[in-house]
Amino acid sequence: MLSHPASRLARLYSKFRQHNGFWILVALGPVYFLFAVIRIYPILETIRLSFFRYHITKKKNPFIGLRNYERLLSDDAFHAALINTIQFTIMAVLITLFLALLIAILLRSIEPVSPIFEIIFYIPVVTPWVPASVIWKWLYDPMYGLINYAISLFGIPKQGWLQEPNLIIYAIVVVAVWKMLGYYIIVFSVGLKNIPTTYLEAAEVDGASPLERLRYIILPLLRPIILFAVVMSTIQFFNVFAPVYVLTASAQGAPAYDLKVVVTEIYRNGFQYYRMGYAGAQSVVLLVFVMMMITLQFMVFRKEH
Amino acid sequence: MFRERWVKISAYVLATVFAIIVIIPFLWVLTTALKTPSEISVWPPRFLPSRVTFENFIQILVRENFVRYMLNSLIVSLGSMGFVLLTSSLAGFIFAKYKFPFKNLLFTLLLATAIIPIQVYMIPIFIMVFKANMMNTYLAMIFPMTIMTFGVFFLRQNIMAIPDSLLDAARIDGAKELWIYVRIVLSLSKSALMALGIFAFSEAWANFIWPLVVVTTKNMYTTELGLAVYQRQFYIEYGAISAGAVITIIPMIIVFFILRKNILQGVTTSGMKT
Repeated sequence: MLSHPASRLARLYSKFRQHNGFWILVALGPVYFLFAVIRIYPILETIRLSFFRYHITKKKNPFIGLRNYERLLSDDAFHAALINTIQFTIMAVLITLFLALLIAILLRSIEPVSPIFEIIFYIPVVTPWVPASVIWKWLYDPMYGLINYAISLFGIPKQGWLQEPNLIIYAIVVVAVWKMLGYYIIVFSVGLKNIPTTYLEAAEVDGASPLERLRYIILPLLRPIILFAVVMSTIQFFNVFAPVYVLTASAQGAPAYDLKVVVTEIYRNGFQYYRMGYAGAQSVVLLVFVMMMITLQFMVFRKEH
Repeated sequence: MFRERWVKISAYVLATVFAIIVIIPFLWVLTTALKTPSEISVWPPRFLPSRVTFENFIQILVRENFVRYMLNSLIVSLGSMGFVLLTSSLAGFIFAKYKFPFKNLLFTLLLATAIIPIQVYMIPIFIMVFKANMMNTYLAMIFPMTIMTFGVFFLRQNIMAIPDSLLDAARIDGAKELWIYVRIVLSLSKSALMALGIFAFSEAWANFIWPLVVVTTKNMYTTELGLAVYQRQFYIEYGAISAGAVITIIPMIIVFFILRKNILQGVTTSGMKT
């Protein structure tokens, strides 16, 4: 249907008014402006920066193609950081989720008292990472720490938990598990509460042992939540920073081993040396990893529905 | 879930053991904060102080100026909370109750970036703050925490539950959309706003890496930053460091105990990230 352009414009305008166009623009505009400025632009700009040599106070910041990425390939500190981060993440995810699942299942069997335990387990979750790590630094103290005292009761000599290059990563894994366990207990509890009790009762009547019920009913029904927990915790632990910052060595000489992880490398290059292009390339590695995890979850989710 | 005796017994045993492991570090840091230096450096360690002293708290709050750091944390957390509540409720309302072009696309875009942590994209925000001469200001500290993707999603879910007939009735009476937003939507979402507010407040309170990069002078430190820097420089002073940890944790624990039902339900309804 052909009509005069002016009348078409007028119709469009009245439609706009009718559907609260002004209000939607006024309400949503600023939100999306902020969203663009503090999310979309920084993500894209991080990728762009990774192709430049960029120093914040310099006038000339030349395009250098893939040179930052080439340098990543031969940067020993970054390799060490990447390997440490992967090791840390695998251990922290497996131990946290295994314990959380075990405790969540057991708590559902002692329903009347389980809320008390859930609250206790959640206290470290609401404790910010910095004080949580500070508490553990004191527990790990080589001279007067409680952990060395506990192992001395079993006749094991004092250890430098944060000073030994081989021990520090496990020490930080323990802090991470302690901090996040309660959160995943709650996540799994929700999934467990959604399993119809009739399924379990029927299996029990048929003579299935607790382990068989776990294997054939509970775990299969919990799969989507376990997947969600794996993706969430992997992303969280891969981005570990505060506990590493608190528990490792410092320029002032706090006696500890200098364990490197990906985010401490980004921090060091980007904010201590102001090599922002290079730190950008390291951030892109992090971004790619996060995107891979999201895609993985999305693909499994699609396949199952 | 399981009615077998042995499962129940092992449940009690294991849960109790883990509860003790979770609690002991808190008690240990609390008693350390109340000890004199000579009682902190003893072997074997003594759990309870023989004489309670508040010297460590005075050291950290007054001489190390943590009172100021707590004030800074409070300003940043309240600022971030205010922005998050405003932006989340506006966007949540629009997505819940209006039809417009590209609605799904815009909403998907918002959710798609939800899980990307600030560690990934903080460099360009830092450059913006630096170029705008905003380093070391409250505004710079609040800036990346003014919107929360999860908040939009959470309030949209809540506002969708408000019946359309209520909004239409107000429109027939001549109410403007802004009036509907303020008087109907906000007042009917009080408990959701409260839950989100608490969450946004504690996220900002616990934030560490962003204040670490934009704050340049001690008088702008947050408690997190102050504590992290102090424990690096004076790693021997466990009394004062423990006192610092206690005062950083206590506000969070008080809030948690008052609102534990809302917080635990928040996790359950929507996989609220920590």
